[in-house]
Amino acid sequence: MRYYETVFIARQDVTSTQVESVTQQYTSIVKEHGGEVTKTEFCGLRPLAYPINKNKKGHYVLLNIAVKPEGLAEVERQMKLNEDILRYLSIRVDVLDNNPSALMQQRHYREDFHRNFDDQDLDMGEADLASGIQEEGRL
Amino acid sequence: MRSDSSYDSQRSDRSERSDRPDGERGDQKTFVRRQFFRRRKSCPFSGQNALPIDYKDVRTLSKFVSERGKMMPSRISSVSLKKQRELAQAIKRSRFLALMPYVSG
Repeated sequence: MRYYETVFIARQDVTSTQVESVTQQYTSIVKEHGGEVTKTEFCGLRPLAYPINKNKKGHYVLLNIAVKPEGLAEVERQMKLNEDILRYLSIRVDVLDNNPSALMQQRHYREDFHRNFDDQDLDMGEADLASGIQEEGRL
Repeated sequence: MRSDSSYDSQRSDRSERSDRPDGERGDQKTFVRRQFFRRRKSCPFSGQNALPIDYKDVRTLSKFVSERGKMMPSRISSVSLKKQRELAQAIKRSRFLALMPYVSG
């Protein structure tokens, strides 16, 4: 049994219920292989930093998976076949972190992002400002 | 050249130095010595309150990337060699997942 962290991005015009059903499907594949999904995070519709296949936004889903390598290979194969999935990335980790990931925390942060920006030191914020403006434009 | 100057402006220690009142500049010796002390920054990812390197944490990663989206050299960010390798990997993963741009601006 190995621990993996999988993130995948679904197309923007897919509904969130569809995303959930797809995730359910992957979870059942993992279970078939004797594994377990310890955490599922739906990070919602997030703007992409650059367009992928003419999509400007995507549904991000993070899965913490404990499964044998064959099980993950099957999940990845299914992701590859599904045209609604723009990207997927699986990373082997030593420990599965059950706390909410940075992807989730960021959404809370963005609400007070603009208010905080002026009094933050610029060297940390400059890159953020650029991406923040882009994100605003796309929303 | 242009990118070099933008790196310099991002360094907080430089801007602080220019903010210093002129009166302190009279004593050249102490000023020079202090300059050397300020220079020594330690790796932000090592030591006691080290930042974790996570490809999903765009806020942290974007501090180590230029305005154009290029990775910052470790000689400027003072990230240790070992951690710079990890950081580079994290930034690349983050770019692949469209969390960070390959090029911006």
